[in-house]
Amino acid sequence: MTSPIKPPEGNWWDQPVNRRESIWLGLGVGWALVLFGWMSAFTRIGDQNPIGETYRVTSEELQERVDEFEAAAEERDDGALVPAGDDIYVVGYQFDWDGLPVVLETGREYDFHLGSYDVQHGFSIRPEHAYSQQINLHVTPGKEWVVPMEFDEPGTYHVLCNEFCGEGHRGMHNTIIVED
Amino acid sequence: MSHALDVFGWFDNEYDGEGFRTCSVTSFDVHRSVENYVKLYGVTAVVFLLIGGIFAFTIAMTRWEAIGLLEPGDYYRHLSMHAWSMLIFWIIFMEIAILYVGGPMVLGRKLPAKWAAAAGYVVMLAGSVLIYYSIWTVSGDPTSDNAPLLTAYVPLEINPLFYVSAIVFLIGVTLAALPFLLTLWDEKRENPGKTLPLVTFGAFVAAIIAVQSILGGLIAFGGALAWQLGYAPWFDASIYRQWFWIIGHGTQQINLVAMIVVWYLVTHVIGGAEVVSEKVSRTAFILYLFFIVMGAAHHLMVDPGLSAGWRIWNTSYAFYGATFASLIHAFTIPAGLEAGRRKRGKGGGLFGWLTSAPWRNPVFASSIFAIILFGFLGGITGVLMGQLQLNMSWHNTFATVGHFHSTVVLGTTLTFMGVVYFVIRTMFMREFVSPKLTTLQPYLYSGGMALTALMMMYVGILYGIPRRTAEVVENIPGTDFSIAGAAPLFDVFGLVAIFAIGGGALFVLLAVGSLLFGDRIEPGDGDLAPDGGSTTQQATDSRTIAPRNDLEQAEDPDDPVHAYEMRGTFVLCLIFLAVFVVAYILNWFLLTQLWSIGA
Repeated sequence: MTSPIKPPEGNWWDQPVNRRESIWLGLGVGWALVLFGWMSAFTRIGDQNPIGETYRVTSEELQERVDEFEAAAEERDDGALVPAGDDIYVVGYQFDWDGLPVVLETGREYDFHLGSYDVQHGFSIRPEHAYSQQINLHVTPGKEWVVPMEFDEPGTYHVLCNEFCGEGHRGMHNTIIVED
Repeated sequence: MSHALDVFGWFDNEYDGEGFRTCSVTSFDVHRSVENYVKLYGVTAVVFLLIGGIFAFTIAMTRWEAIGLLEPGDYYRHLSMHAWSMLIFWIIFMEIAILYVGGPMVLGRKLPAKWAAAAGYVVMLAGSVLIYYSIWTVSGDPTSDNAPLLTAYVPLEINPLFYVSAIVFLIGVTLAALPFLLTLWDEKRENPGKTLPLVTFGAFVAAIIAVQSILGGLIAFGGALAWQLGYAPWFDASIYRQWFWIIGHGTQQINLVAMIVVWYLVTHVIGGAEVVSEKVSRTAFILYLFFIVMGAAHHLMVDPGLSAGWRIWNTSYAFYGATFASLIHAFTIPAGLEAGRRKRGKGGGLFGWLTSAPWRNPVFASSIFAIILFGFLGGITGVLMGQLQLNMSWHNTFATVGHFHSTVVLGTTLTFMGVVYFVIRTMFMREFVSPKLTTLQPYLYSGGMALTALMMMYVGILYGIPRRTAEVVENIPGTDFSIAGAAPLFDVFGLVAIFAIGGGALFVLLAVGSLLFGDRIEPGDGDLAPDGGSTTQQATDSRTIAPRNDLEQAEDPDDPVHAYEMRGTFVLCLIFLAVFVVAYILNWFLLTQLWSIGA
């Protein structure tokens, strides 16, 4: 009996499986292992991984750290901050990014401290010269996520919010300026 | 005997003394109680589809910024209405109907605990109306009263009534699912040694995943409510996200399993498919049961505070256990069709079984298009964006929206439209008001929607267009910057979206029109399964199909279905795998062009 709407009779478990079906099952298992293996291996060999230490933090503590970061940085005429060290802060709030705009150098690894003062936001960044080179990381209040990044091409990188955070969400834009 | 309130004659089929009738298409022993509730839930679902469709139009015309129909505040309200109408109300009302078909109707039983079906209906409806009310009355003040969208993410300030309504709806769903679970309980008590039919088995798996999802939802919404009211200050964004996605993704997995159940049913009844291996198909369902709930982690790939190991393990459904299950169904469903049709002499050559298939039958066409488009567009992109690293390119972009319109719309909604057609013909006993347009509708809708989803993915991945925003290509307030380069692509998006919505509107017109004005089909007067479907008798005159009287061929031990050729299916699956591999490599290529990110 081979109808999906009737109970199968007899020993249906031991019915043989078609040869092509068996081959497909093998291909499926193989592909699943490739998918898993590559994803896992890339965390060791790859340069693009959404991985970094996370720390619990209150909004007040985070605000203090951003204030310290901004005080230590040098402010250019255009209002952009040149950080004093390798740590930079990008913290979302309704409706802008604190710590930006910032000026970074190519070829230097910075620790991005990502977080939020109020609600969930989406850190979405792309350079002006190539929209397709974009990445997105989620930020939540109460967490300070330290994700290292090293830019190899100069340009203006636009940061948008891509998680709904209230009616002014669409205007949540700022920039990271990368220079040689 | 018609009820006084049944003004349209929707609930007046003839039943025997015990309340049963035999369906001429499926040969199910249908009890009045089951059939009436399937109709009730089904018709209600179509109403929600209509409401959701109206909002599909307003939000698509807002995202097409050349039109820019709505103000941002209105946009978020409309977006919330669209999400809850489509993703939750339309689909879940349909799924309750499908559970009643898959359980009591397939097994030829009465609906137990009819009170639960009735109470569940009333509570679900009340929950829906309350959710609509709490969305529509949002003031939009960011500090006190935001639109919930689908996700209602803590700690965004959202009207507590919204969380209450969502809990009410979940309680309604639980009640409505009870009769299905009781059916299985009774069936197994009475026939302890008997295996359940595959369709019932799959529906049972869907119901178990539903229980998991509902529990996750109660914790998420209950916790959010307690947090809103000040009782649980510790209930934070990360905790909410994890529990919310147990239901948020879990419900999509119910859709997946429910729609696969429908695919097995429809390809069999309409196309003459058989089950090529009970063992393999059932194992695939079991894999879903064990692994699919891990899919919730897909939404947390680029969240802070979760270890890479946790994310990789969960997003891979533990070594892609659930993906493997989908790959299995991707073979066994078309293979069932191929082998079943070859066996009935309807498949010469490599693809004769497909070219001779009943493509003019809208029930069949809906399911087949859903299988193809779900697989190629929804399934492949789902696995891609579920990879830890690739998720950085997909997360919260418009491409994500393209992905879930491929799974939920091109997969589930399209399949369920076919189910509605099927119910109109076999349970409401109505002819379609326009058979020609009904034949055409799945083609128009799936074509338009596929292009819409592709455009969403295109602008999302290659232009980084964010989701959930009213303005981004024409003007971003407070800056000169905008992603203007994508504006021409949004012109294409807007046009194909209108086309798709038109196809959806045509469905509602045809369904409601047939229910109101369609000619009544008298018993035995069905031409729904032109190829005989589960009958093997050749239909010479479409009006004279004998009810199914033979599965002797299928039962013949010397003629097992697994011995038939499945090379057509094998070729199709290899093409699918090749597309999968190419899409995978392209996505990874794009990612590795980026600057260095992460520890």
